[in-house]
Amino acid sequence: MITNIQRFSLNDGPGIRTTVFFKGCNLSCKWCHNPETLSLTPQLLVYPDKCMGCGACMQVCPKGALQVVEGKITLDRKLCDNCGKCTGVCFSGTLEMAGTEMSVSDMMWEIEQDIPYYNRSGGGVTLSGGEVLLQPELARELLKACKEKGIHTAIETNLCYDFGVLEYLAPYLDLIMADIKVYDNDLHKEMTGQGNDLIFDNVRRLDELDIPYILRTPVIPGVNDNEKEISALSRLAGEGKNLLYYELLNFNPLGGSKYDGLDMENHFYEARPLPEARLENLKNIALQNCSSVRVG
Amino acid sequence: MRNRINQFSPDADMSYYRRIQILRERKLEDTKDKASYWSFADGDDYGAITPPEDYKFEPIPNHENGSFYGYEGWSRNFYKLMSEHPIHIDPCDAFANRWMNCLSWIRHENGINQFNPDYSYDHLRPEQEKYGIVSGIGSDAHFGGDYSIGLSLGWGGLLEKLEHYRKINPEHNEFYDAEVLTIKGIQVWMERTVREIEKAIEIETHPVLRENLEQMRECNEYLINGAPRTLREACQWICWFNMASREYNRDGAGCQLDEILRPYYERDLEAGIITPDEAKYYIACLLLNDPHYYQLGGLSPDGKDMVSYFSYMILEAADWLDSSCNITVRVHDGMDMDFLRKAVYYLFKNKNGWPRFSGDKALSEGFMKKGYPASLARQRVAVGCHWMSLPGLEYTLNDCVKINCAKVFRLSLDEMMAGEGEKSTKALFEIYRKHMRRAVEVTAEGIRFHLKYQVYNEPELMLNLISHGPVEKGLDIVDGGAMYYNMCIDGTGIATVADSFAALEQRIEKEKRLTWEEMYEVLSSNFQGMDGEYIRRMLASSERYGGGNTLADRWAVRINEHFTEDVNSMDGDGVKFIPGWFSWSNTITLGKAVKATPNGRRDYEPINHGANPHPGFRKDGALTAMSNTICSVQPGYGNTAPIQLELDPGMARDEEGIQKVCDYILTIFDQGATLLNINIINADEILAANENPDLYPDLVVRVTGFTAYFCLLTPEFRQLVVDRIIKAS
Repeated sequence: MITNIQRFSLNDGPGIRTTVFFKGCNLSCKWCHNPETLSLTPQLLVYPDKCMGCGACMQVCPKGALQVVEGKITLDRKLCDNCGKCTGVCFSGTLEMAGTEMSVSDMMWEIEQDIPYYNRSGGGVTLSGGEVLLQPELARELLKACKEKGIHTAIETNLCYDFGVLEYLAPYLDLIMADIKVYDNDLHKEMTGQGNDLIFDNVRRLDELDIPYILRTPVIPGVNDNEKEISALSRLAGEGKNLLYYELLNFNPLGGSKYDGLDMENHFYEARPLPEARLENLKNIALQNCSSVRVG
Repeated sequence: MRNRINQFSPDADMSYYRRIQILRERKLEDTKDKASYWSFADGDDYGAITPPEDYKFEPIPNHENGSFYGYEGWSRNFYKLMSEHPIHIDPCDAFANRWMNCLSWIRHENGINQFNPDYSYDHLRPEQEKYGIVSGIGSDAHFGGDYSIGLSLGWGGLLEKLEHYRKINPEHNEFYDAEVLTIKGIQVWMERTVREIEKAIEIETHPVLRENLEQMRECNEYLINGAPRTLREACQWICWFNMASREYNRDGAGCQLDEILRPYYERDLEAGIITPDEAKYYIACLLLNDPHYYQLGGLSPDGKDMVSYFSYMILEAADWLDSSCNITVRVHDGMDMDFLRKAVYYLFKNKNGWPRFSGDKALSEGFMKKGYPASLARQRVAVGCHWMSLPGLEYTLNDCVKINCAKVFRLSLDEMMAGEGEKSTKALFEIYRKHMRRAVEVTAEGIRFHLKYQVYNEPELMLNLISHGPVEKGLDIVDGGAMYYNMCIDGTGIATVADSFAALEQRIEKEKRLTWEEMYEVLSSNFQGMDGEYIRRMLASSERYGGGNTLADRWAVRINEHFTEDVNSMDGDGVKFIPGWFSWSNTITLGKAVKATPNGRRDYEPINHGANPHPGFRKDGALTAMSNTICSVQPGYGNTAPIQLELDPGMARDEEGIQKVCDYILTIFDQGATLLNINIINADEILAANENPDLYPDLVVRVTGFTAYFCLLTPEFRQLVVDRIIKAS
């Protein structure tokens, strides 16, 4: 189950890449800018402002979950089972399904179109999400298919899963990008739904895989954008032998409309990216513990 | 026209860089003046300034319809224009004068721009109208001259050359008279300018600026007859040619600027009479004088990389100026990668839509398929909106001839629906092919008509002087003076047509969501009502051109293949035809001639821009998908189907980002792309600028192939640019 294949990705690894977003995540980070990837099952996103009030969706909904009220569609999520029939007759962009079963061959049909760009730029394919490790068979099959075509492969992972799954994917992986989000365990639990013990244990085991990796911290205003957190996280990052670099990623405010579309609460809807100077400051702190630090 | 003399206290900083900053600020003022004066919006930014309020040019007619035609008409009027032309002196500028109007516009403003009525093409008009053909008949310029001819001879040398060949071709006296009068006119303008510079010297109190005016006077006095010896003189001569050529008929074709100017700089360096900053100042002033189209880099005829340290200097000078500019970097295998990175760096730094990038591989290999050797193909430089030209060697009518393929499509659909025969995309395509073939034939006929009679309408008196052949033969370049005739025929609306075919195939034939009759009824009503709008959106969300190997992409490949074949088949009698895909800023006017189309486009809405998809072609707007599509529809014979991109400024904020953009550029040219235009802008900025364009006087956008100040575009055209950028973001 994936949500999207995004071509010409410039921020998901080296070179020009195609990013495949897996659906489903075992964390629920409050700042997530891809909220449609959190649930493992398909979800209907609704954008009433785009609705033209034609009522075509109502006619096909088997659950009667859709109503046109004052010219705009409304959805009763208690009735909706996310079957997606309505999206097949909605052409205004009001109703959108997040999550589709897609075969590896179909994904490769899209992916292979950009092989010349990967080759020139040292790019390739990145599996992201959501959390890739939750769908190990799909991930492995896709990575293997990419390697058969000579495509560089990478994953973005929260590392909050059985390390064995990483070992299972390793033969077809060229790069791992992993998030280390919050050092304080209680705060980590509060902000993501899980503690960080397993994550940090897995970070310390990454060198066993003999695959280069990048460790990244999304810098979230009011959460970890302070010296204590960045100092500790960068110290953890600096322990790695195969670490390519540690990266501080500025808070990404995009995705707000997706929260609205899913009727989900956006805890960070007012937050803004940190000023450049602030990030530089945090970078300098990180450099005390880690020889290679980037800001993204 | 603003007074620029004696505006600073004698102790003001007047370093070269400071002078360029002042000139840049003054250009913004000039742009503001032009916004209220200029009647031609939606075109290039020019170096022109507004003339004095009391200035008006009265043309001299030589035809009963009140217009002027031919050698006599154009030369006399040009001489008059030059004799009366206002003079503009700016002591901060290295070069004298600016252009302010042009005979082609004057004819238009006075309602006397009809093609010489003594030569009728009425027999072609019905089908030109039927197929939405912009015939190019009577169009001017749009090919490149060889500046080295003029630079090596100067105006005096050109006069001698004319007299020399007049003796050999006495039967062409009319041609030589006209050319001599043309040059005399320019010399009169120059003489008058020198007098004005002298007056300015008397007034100017700043010592550095006064010294600059002295040098300006000396330089221009010499150049009235002499051939340039120094970099300053070479640049000033180019300015004169450019201004005069713009004044004649808006010609904006430049040259391989780095290689043309480098020898002058090196001689000056050797003589110890120039510094690098001084050179950059001259180059910046040249670029300011007019944003002519210049190429940097590329391969020499014998296959060597032409990028030099001087190419870098030109980029640096353009960076100093930080204004609109039409510099193209030619990209090829084995090129200086630092230069490419530098070019991309400046593109993102200044956000003025320059440089743009051309692809040597596809351009050269394509042109060679028309029967030309590699050494010649490499010389075909980027000197126009979307076009290349062999300097001084070919006549092309580049960017003047368009076939409205969307109109051809719609009339084909009407024909199929009115008939009793099969209703299918197969049947529709056969009808479309038939009409496209005829449209191409009519277009070629029109071009041949133009070649036969244009000399009696409007000879190319300026560009003849720096072409190989006209002076030697005594024949206008259109009239047999050129070495090669490679006539450009551009298709327009490829995405509109491809999307329409795909929508019909997908929604009617494959998915059976509606019938042909239902579709046509809704189309004919311009998608009226809720049902109409529903169907419109259904059609519009079909597989789109640019989406990446979609139904529409595959239709586009077929459309291009047939179009290319049809155009190439018109070759004959010493004339070759080269296909391309480009709409220039006709996107709106061409759309106004076409009713609704099955891609969801309403009556008279714009067709797609150039070879780009209609906005919203793909959810992620992936550049690679779009680029792959445009690469796949390159006609492949040396003319272009450009890629127009809008990129977010954050994309290349560091070296890694710049490298990725460079990698993208190299890949698309590997894949067969020919020309790449890029705007660096984000959605918020363009929306704000569209709201209040006057608050963004220095916002420059690359519209199609040309750059323009956003505030000077018409609201309709601004919206087109905005829609493209918003969807891309």
